[in-house]
Amino acid sequence: MSEASQLSAENVAGASATARGVRGGSAGSTGSARRAKPVLSEGKKAERRLGLLLCAPAALVMIAVTGWPIIYSVWLSLQRFDLRFPDQREFVGLDNYITVLSSPYWWTAFGVTALLTVVSVVLELVLGMALALIMHRTIVGRGLVRTVALIPYGIVTVVAAFSWYYAWTPGTGYLANLVGPDTALLTERLPALAIIVSAEVWKTTPFMALLLMAGLALVPDDLLKAAAMDGASAWQRFTRVMVPVMKPAILVALLFRTLDAFRIFDNIFVLTSGAQDTASVSMQTYNNLIKGLNLGVGSTMSVLIFITVAIIAFVFVKVFGTAAPGSDQGGRR
Amino acid sequence: MRGATRTGRGRTSRRRAVATFTAALALAPAVAACGSGGGGVTTINVYYAPEQNFQKVVDQCNAKAAGRYRIVLNTLPRDADGQREQMVRRLAAGDTEMDVLGLDVTWVSEFAEAGWVTEWTGENKAEAERGTLAGPLETARWKDKLYAAPKNTNVQLLWYRDDLVQQPPRTWDEMLAAAKQLKDAGKPSQVLATGAQYEGLVVLYNTIVASAGGQILSEDGGRAVMDAGAVEGLRVLRDFATSGVASPSLTNSKEGEVQRGFEAGAAAFELNWPFVYAAMQKGNPELAPHFKWARIPGVTPDVPGKATIGGYDLAVSSYSQHQDEAFETALCLRSAESQKFSAINDGVPPTIESVYAEPEMAEAYPMRDMILEELKDPAVRPLTPAYQSASTIMSKVLSPPGAIDPQATAERLRRELQDAIESKGVVP
Amino acid sequence: MAVIAGTDSTGRKIRWTLLDIVVVVYALVPVLWILSLSFKTPETLNDGNFIPRAWTLENYRLIFQTPEFVRALANSIGIALIATAIAVVLGTMAAYAIARLDFPGKRVLVGVSLLIAMFPQVALVSPLFEIERSLGLFNTWPGLILPYITFSLPLAIYTLSAFFREIPWELEKAAKMDGATPGQAFRRVIAPLAAPGVFTTAILVFIFCWNDFLFAISLTSTEASRTVPAALSFFTGASQFEDPTGTISAAAVVITIPIIVFVLFFQRRIVAGLTSGAVKG
Repeated sequence: MSEASQLSAENVAGASATARGVRGGSAGSTGSARRAKPVLSEGKKAERRLGLLLCAPAALVMIAVTGWPIIYSVWLSLQRFDLRFPDQREFVGLDNYITVLSSPYWWTAFGVTALLTVVSVVLELVLGMALALIMHRTIVGRGLVRTVALIPYGIVTVVAAFSWYYAWTPGTGYLANLVGPDTALLTERLPALAIIVSAEVWKTTPFMALLLMAGLALVPDDLLKAAAMDGASAWQRFTRVMVPVMKPAILVALLFRTLDAFRIFDNIFVLTSGAQDTASVSMQTYNNLIKGLNLGVGSTMSVLIFITVAIIAFVFVKVFGTAAPGSDQGGRR
Repeated sequence: MRGATRTGRGRTSRRRAVATFTAALALAPAVAACGSGGGGVTTINVYYAPEQNFQKVVDQCNAKAAGRYRIVLNTLPRDADGQREQMVRRLAAGDTEMDVLGLDVTWVSEFAEAGWVTEWTGENKAEAERGTLAGPLETARWKDKLYAAPKNTNVQLLWYRDDLVQQPPRTWDEMLAAAKQLKDAGKPSQVLATGAQYEGLVVLYNTIVASAGGQILSEDGGRAVMDAGAVEGLRVLRDFATSGVASPSLTNSKEGEVQRGFEAGAAAFELNWPFVYAAMQKGNPELAPHFKWARIPGVTPDVPGKATIGGYDLAVSSYSQHQDEAFETALCLRSAESQKFSAINDGVPPTIESVYAEPEMAEAYPMRDMILEELKDPAVRPLTPAYQSASTIMSKVLSPPGAIDPQATAERLRRELQDAIESKGVVP
Repeated sequence: MAVIAGTDSTGRKIRWTLLDIVVVVYALVPVLWILSLSFKTPETLNDGNFIPRAWTLENYRLIFQTPEFVRALANSIGIALIATAIAVVLGTMAAYAIARLDFPGKRVLVGVSLLIAMFPQVALVSPLFEIERSLGLFNTWPGLILPYITFSLPLAIYTLSAFFREIPWELEKAAKMDGATPGQAFRRVIAPLAAPGVFTTAILVFIFCWNDFLFAISLTSTEASRTVPAALSFFTGASQFEDPTGTISAAAVVITIPIIVFVLFFQRRIVAGLTSGAVKG
């Protein structure tokens, strides 16, 4: 726990260092108005007080609810503790970590999860951006498109997964009937993975699109106008003007989608129950922790997933540098 | 541990009062201080899987209790994992407000070993065993002690279409041969079974192994055996999956897909629980008159197949504050009368033999003689506290059945099952 | 927008209409399949037809006859609205501080909130259950609202602070010069400007709370606080082995309606907020 939080504090600090250097023209016209500190120690104090005051409620709620459960999970991961054999509880240090990390099952699931994450997040980003542009700029039926496009995200995941499952079941589903009567795609590994990805992408692209659309809303019209007058093509306007302004929104969308995608559970659980090596690390955690009642090994898996996503987050924040929240405030006012 | 109240009954107005989260923390001690049991009458909380008309059984037993205590039915989620998860979470926390627990037959050894359920002794034990079929009773025992009373049982039958098949096959080989003949003749020929990677695949494999006279774990559940019969079972399962007459979606078939697949008309055989009979009358009334049943196929012609027992047992929580009333409640809920009611109204086969002879059973259970025959010569799933892990491993290693290599797969199962029952290693 | 849209010729309109249709089809076909399942009769449920051959309202009648479902719907609406409101308020406060103010512990807060978003929730459920049980919060509205706030706050804080950074803050300075305190500047100037981010966040948080299954199933035990996604797993089929597909589909359709209403209500604000800000700017 302490290790991980340090890691995260570090990455934010690192990002902030880069931020000070890079910050400047990247945010377009709005950036120019922000600059360095009016250093009044009275005002400074008031500002600190206000800052702490504004953050306190959120911080208190989060720590009150999750502090103990997270510490407890880490503590459990260092023990041999199986609810079915309560007498054999003992402290075993890192043994559980060795057990999990030397298990081929873990690494298969890890590979599947990584693959699903990368493929679905990339697809979601592309589709989400397209969807966001359409939702943002359409001149016909904007309210309708915006609302309809968000419906997939609003459907309860398990129900959506079931509807895909029925659709792909030979004999009873419309999609299965389309591909032919004697093929059961969900029973072959690659097609099954493709179906899982498509269910996941369909369900969560709206999340991406909504965040990106809100980012698009921040792109100043006059900036686009100026770029158009300078003869920039549509693609150039997109990459040079829109994307830089949207960077924070893109970071948040990508970061949270990736973290979520790495913990994929419902869709796989319903669609294949992990058959044909399609299980994810979260399913394995569930099988060991909740179903297997092996609190030691199960908690170890949770901590490992946690460390993995922490690394992913670290990389994201590094890559996005300036766009990371809390990164560049020293120099901004 | 101040929180003595959890059931949430009679607290509606107070709940509203705490509905804002700021107020909640301040009020929590007050809520907790106000214990359960309301008017002084003992409450017996029953936790049981959803069963449409079970509340009526509870009402009957409440009437019998005549005000000495009040039975409250708390319904658990539909899926078995969800049921077990909720009960385990509370038991692990020492929850004193659970009294009677509905356990799937594979959970009894686990709950007993963990010390979560009370042993049945004396008059209660005698009552629970009286007239109860031996197979279901075995699922309620652990280390020669009785920890639960069988409430209802279940066995799969072989279902077939008598417009396609004259004589039901006695063995897997006969069944596959018959299906291949039908296939060559261009008729519906599929053989449907629960082949997805889940408990149903374990049930299928366990049935085949028991029919071949084999063993997966030792009697005491302490050692992974995987003897010759178990290896033979792997061969039969593999041959079935690769025979060309298994459904193409075998590896994604659970009970529901098997049932619907048969109703859709492409199959000649299905291995499934008796619920399919009632479902067929509704789902495909035209096919229903040709929908017939037989004993589950065996592996060798001279030994009839042995079907794996399913169903639910009732146990009393070790943390219950009202043990006597809880045992009485459990006995009432699974009495012959209650079992008859549930069998007819909810389609769950009784565990008390005499109930099968009741005249009303004939209409709902035309197949009752066959159920009884199988129940008297059954297969029980391996009894071990680590059954859930063992099952997860078996379903993983056996899936897809077409890829089984009997010797190598048996070796792998022996190794991984041994780890699982010792709670070592990782469950896939 | 005006830059790219140019003059509204019919050709443009047709092109946009076609694009809109693509989006609508993409989003709705799987939903229509659920809708179709909810209207099918038990006999035709498994025929694989996209459009039901025989229609029935039976499934809807059934779910509204179940008091548990109606109660769960009320729980869902109440819990999701309260949790969303609180999470957005707390998130806005924190995000403003993170984006605008300099104070010690800011990085820790940002880091910790991300950590919380990242820890596998399945591992947190059991300890949370024990805590709530001993506090008397188990199976109450606050018992769900608190975790919902907690697990949506990280997203709320990140989203909001990402948007707050891009707001033209010179307006705030101007307000301060006019004699407004930082608090007043926050309320009167920045809050309206922040509307797109705030409403986007509100939609996402609401959907998160609305769809949660894990906490709902683990931290409730009766209809006193059980929400719809959890209630779905208590629907019974004809037998232990048959899923109540029809009623589940009908319930899924019904519980999607509040989401549509919520999104309809808020999506306007996503741009409206910005335009008003841009005009002032």
